[in-house]
This record gives sequence, structure tokens and C-alpha cells, in this order.
Amino acid sequence: MKKTKAMLLASLLLVTAILVSACGSGSNNAGKANTGNSSQPSEAGGAATEEQVELRVMWWGDQTRADITTAMLKKFEEKHPNIKVVPEFSPFDGYFDKLNTQLASGTAPDLFTLGSNILEYATRNVLLDINSYVGNEVDTSKISPQLINMNTFDGKLQGISIGANSTAILANTALFEKAGLPMPTKEWTWDDFIKINEQIAATGKDTYGSYDYSGEMDQFGVYLTQRDKMIYNEPEQKLGFEAADVAEWFTLWEGMRKAGSIVTPELQISADPDDTSMSLVTKGQVAMQFIPTNQFADFQKMSQDKLTLIPVPMGPNGSMISVQSSQNIVGYANTKHPKEVAMLMDFWVNDPDAAKILGNNRGVPVSSEMRAVLKAEASETDKVVYDYLDIVAVDDVDLLYNVPGSNEFKQELLKASQNVAFGRMDIAKAAEEFYAQGLKILQANLSATTN
Amino acid sequence: MDSVTGVATQTVVKRKTRRSLKRNLTGYLFLLPWLIGFFCMAIGPILASLYLSFTNYNMLKAPDWIGLHNFTEMFTGDATFTHSLKLTFQYVFLSVPLRLVFALAVAIILNKGLRLLGLYRTVYYIPSLLGGSVAIAVVWKKIFSGDGLFNRFLEIFHIDAPDWVANPSYIIYSIVALSVWQFGSSMVIFLAGLKQIPGEIYEAAAVDGVSRTRQFMRITLPLLSPVILFNLVMNMIGSFQVFTSGYIIGDGHGGPIDSTMFYSLYLYLKGFSYFNMGYASAMAWVMLVIIGIFTAIVFASSKYWVYYGDGKDERG
Repeated sequence: MKKTKAMLLASLLLVTAILVSACGSGSNNAGKANTGNSSQPSEAGGAATEEQVELRVMWWGDQTRADITTAMLKKFEEKHPNIKVVPEFSPFDGYFDKLNTQLASGTAPDLFTLGSNILEYATRNVLLDINSYVGNEVDTSKISPQLINMNTFDGKLQGISIGANSTAILANTALFEKAGLPMPTKEWTWDDFIKINEQIAATGKDTYGSYDYSGEMDQFGVYLTQRDKMIYNEPEQKLGFEAADVAEWFTLWEGMRKAGSIVTPELQISADPDDTSMSLVTKGQVAMQFIPTNQFADFQKMSQDKLTLIPVPMGPNGSMISVQSSQNIVGYANTKHPKEVAMLMDFWVNDPDAAKILGNNRGVPVSSEMRAVLKAEASETDKVVYDYLDIVAVDDVDLLYNVPGSNEFKQELLKASQNVAFGRMDIAKAAEEFYAQGLKILQANLSATTN
Repeated sequence: MDSVTGVATQTVVKRKTRRSLKRNLTGYLFLLPWLIGFFCMAIGPILASLYLSFTNYNMLKAPDWIGLHNFTEMFTGDATFTHSLKLTFQYVFLSVPLRLVFALAVAIILNKGLRLLGLYRTVYYIPSLLGGSVAIAVVWKKIFSGDGLFNRFLEIFHIDAPDWVANPSYIIYSIVALSVWQFGSSMVIFLAGLKQIPGEIYEAAAVDGVSRTRQFMRITLPLLSPVILFNLVMNMIGSFQVFTSGYIIGDGHGGPIDSTMFYSLYLYLKGFSYFNMGYASAMAWVMLVIIGIFTAIVFASSKYWVYYGDGKDERG
């Protein structure tokens, strides 16, 4: 009896001890990595440079992307036996929650991917400065200067683009044929866009020319740059447009909505164009939607019709779209192995084996050499993307960064546009309210980052 | 003599306190894993969130003390906050009574002594589970969409129905309907409560010629009232924190036009999507106070309508 009681107490103490140790972990990871080193010192041949190193790499994406990225990292391990890479990935939803939590607690991975929000992280000083590795561990000579500039902040290169893409209109050729229309060329305008939408919508019930982009910030941004304006004027830290521009943009789409040539507000929500399995363009019910070019293959896979990419309609300044960085690989400022981080970055963008494994999943390769490697063996679908990028690459477009607080900003624009679409607010009022809200969000986020 | 007994009593008392201490110590030791979990994992974050609610904190920079600013902003400058609060109240006042009535009705039917009772109980409980709740919200979205099952059904009667989950005017009702459908856990508790009511009471009432409705009003409801109170409180607390259905049936950002912007969802977006942790923490504390007030009101009112069967309520 006494014995069992003693045993019970002992086991309870054990559980407690485990819990206490779990409570106070945190610095344990480093310790673990070190024990890993000491267990196999002979293998490294004693040289200090051959020290065993562990790198954590994190990215967002689906299973396909996870598979190819992991395969690419395996290749890297093969070529650098002293480096062990631990992959971590999550879907896009939740990726930045996770990353921010890790950054806040000082447990961020050595390398991680960022999108056009890289500016927000660069200004918070959490990214590794790669300048001193350029020319040694990292070769940037094959990457276009624009993509390098994009990731240079305060003179410090803080990320390497791992995919170039552009905005395009995904078009279903079958619907154009049915309406007897030729495919638009680079010289088409927004007026043509309106006319073509009408002509396509006239071919049948429940057929529409285009999805409704009145609530999408990226497309609004393109429209603004075509008019010497922009969403966010980064050097002056203010908005680069007026409420009247929003009203003009809303009016453009409201006209097509009234004419029934773009999808209804309900369809816009229930048949989400960004979801390849829901998009009505792949189903042959809508002729056009905007996509980032690196997603072309995913959409084509879901459609029985032949899809193609056409440029965005021109404004007074031309179409003003360019080849941009779709994603960037960055290092964590507090990484213990900055040199190895730089080596992996170089492998990612400059190694032919890596390029062949990764393909165009994150956009076409940023290194001109790697692009040539892939282009030589491109499939029909991939050729569409390369051809498209050749067409738009000539435009010289200034660098554009996300407005601080862009997530909230995007939602406000969407809300304002839906207020118009569902007839709850007139255009002028919706535009005014969005603009006021936008100023407020910008102000709040600027003060949060400068403090 | 006296002193001898005194010493004896003293030692007895001493031994008793020591023994009780020893006994309690064992208890505390058993509690220790939980206590450590509580102090390490729960108290810390709770206090941290209280502190953060007075700061501007974006998770990347150190929190910046701004006093009551988050709270004043909430009640004076944030239209979405006011909207989310209203929407959540609307949801609570619609869904809780409906769900309780539905759960009670199903429990009464199941209590009639059906065969395969266990099976039905399990099946009806499934929508209440978390995994089930996500799955069922996804199915719900399909059923009530523009060309979904529900509208196809209405088409038979030539009713031209809107898209219940894409139109901002109707989406709240499809979410309320979903919450009513997730009546399982309340139903199981009601069922247990119904089984506690002795059959003789009904027999006696029936012999006296009391109608079914009167039996329900005068026997079932009073004897079930403690269970109703429990279900009411639990459902109310749960409904104030509604998140999953709004997140999945809406676009995850409270859309269209904030029609699914429930309080918890707005809190989550503020914290994890807009990276304003200080504001999100402040919102969490406001919600805690609101839930506290409503729970207190329900408990205060309970002495007028809850019957515990031990005679204590006779005075009330």
C-alpha cells in the first residue's frame, strides 16, 4: 500500500519535472544542434570550415510546391554534406501568423520566403544583409538589376528573388472564338475591354466577359500607374491617388456590371476566380480574369478549353505592367550560419539542378542562364508564359511596394466595391469612405513602424 | 489529570493537523502537473494579454505603451468594431433561443423510447464536434449557394431565391441556421435531464386528466429548468465567441461587406492578419467583460425561473 503510494508520488514528480522542463525550454534548440555536432566530429575531417550546420527553411504553398522544394533542398544537402536542411512549410493562410510569432519569439528559421511585403520586414530589421556575400557565396550577376534593386533597402541587399512573374489576363480562347473575336493584342485599351466584354456576354445566358476587379487592389494599382499615379508613394510615405480616382475606377466597373457584361456580385463571391477549381474561366463561362503568370499552368490543368495569357488593357501611359519578383528568399538577421544561408540562396537561383526541379512554380527563374535552361525544354503551357513575359518585359516601370497595412487596405477596398456592387452605397460615398479609411490605416501603420 | 488529558489532546490535535497536511500535500502533489500547466501556460499569457491591451504591438517591435488608447479607439473611432459587436449580439439573440428550442424538441422525440437511440444520439452529436463543425460549414456553403441544393429545391415551387451565402443581406441567417443545426451537445444534455424526471409524475398527472401541453409546461419545464439554465449559459458563452462558421462561410475576412465580421473574427484579423496584437488583446478583454455581464444577468434571473426541487426556491 505504502509502496504504491510512493510509486505514484514518484511518477507524479516525474511528470512535473517534465512539464517544468518543457516550460523553460526555448534555448534548447541550439543545445540540440550542438550535440549533433559533437557526435560526429571525425567525419568532418577536423577542418573548422566543415563543421556540421543545420539550416531551417520555411515557405508557403501547396503539396506540389512542398515536394519540389524539399527535393531541391535534398540536392543541396547532397552537394554540401556538412549542411543539414530542415524544411518547414505551411499553406499561405497562416504562414505570416506563424512567421511573425517566430520572429517575435526569436525562433525564426534561418531562411524563409516573403512576397512583395518584404519592405515591411526590411524596415523592421529582421532580415540578413547579404551584401558581403555577393560575389563570393552569392552570384547575382545573372539577375536583372531591377530585381536586385527591388530587394535592396538602405543600400543593403536583403533578399534574392526566387521567381519572376507578371500580371496578365487569363483568357479562354473558346469564348473568343464563339463570339467571333480575335485575341486582343498588347495595344488594346480599357474601351476595347468594355466592348469585348459586352460582345462575349451577348453570346449566351450566364456567359460573361470578365470577372469583376473593382475590389482588387493589384488591378486598381495597375490602372493608377497607367495614369501616372500609384497606390502608395513610398519615398514620400503617402497615398499616391485621390478619392476621385477610386470613384473613376468604380464607375468603370459599375458600367459593365449594369450592362451585365461582367459577373454578378454574388457569382464574384461564390465562384472565387483565384481558386483554380472554382474559376468560371476554366469552366468556359467567363472569358477573362486576372492572374499572376506563374499560376497559368495550374489554371490550364483545370480547363478543357485552350487558355492563353493576354496583356492588361492600356491606359494613357501604356499597359505599365512589368516583370516583378513574385517571391523572395531572405535570411533571418539572427541566424547563426549566415554564410551557409547565402550558399543556399545561391544554389536556389543559380544551380541548373535546382532550376530543373523547381521549374516555374514560383515564377520563371530570375537568373538569365537558368531561364535559358528551362526555356529549352519548356512544355506548350510553359511556352505561353515565356512568350508573355517576353512581350511585357520591355516596359520600364518604377518599383512599387505594398502600402503599410496592405492586408487591411485590401479588405477596405473590397468592402467599398461590394457596397457599390450590391447597391448599398453610391459610388461617390463609397470612394470617399474608402479613401478616408485608407488614410487612417496608413497613418496607424506608419506610426507603428517608426516608433 | 487535567494536564495529562490536555497534553494528550494537544498531541492528538498536532498529529491530526500533521496528518491532514500530509493528506492535503498528496492532493496538491496530484494537482501539481495541472497547477504548473496553469501557471506556466495560462496565467502568463493571460497577464501578458492584459498588458498588451494597453500597448501598440505589431509582434516585430517591442510593445509600445499607449494607455487606454486601444479602448477609446474601439468605442469612438472604429466603425467595424461597433458593427462586429452588433452583428455578434444579433447572432447570439437569434441563434441561442432557436438552438435551445430545437435541441429540446429533438431530445423529447428521442426520449420517447426509440430503437437505435444510441445511434441517433451519436449521429446528431457529430455536427457539434470541431472537425465536424468545419466540415459541415463547408457543406452548408455548398447547400445554400446560388445554385445549391436548397435553391434547387425552392425552384420546384417556382421560388426565385437569392444566393444565401454570397449576398450580404442573407448570409447571417444561413449562419444562424447552421448554428441551430449544431444542436447536438445541448440535445444530449437535455436528453439526460429528461431521463431524470420520474415517469410516475406523468402517470399521476395523466390519471388526473392533465393534458400533454400542460404536462410539458407544468412538469417537464420546471423539472428541466436547471438543465435549461446550464445549456443557456454554455450556449450563450459559445455563441458570443462564434468564429468557425463565419470564417468558413464568409471569405475568412468577414466579407461580403462585413456581413460575417463576428467579434472573434475581427479580433483574429486585427491580431493575426493586420498585426495589431495590442488592439486584439484589448478586444479580447472587452469580450470577457461582456460575457461576464451577460452570464451574471442570466444567473441573477435564474432564481425566478429555475427549480432545484429541494424546496429552496419556494420563497422566490
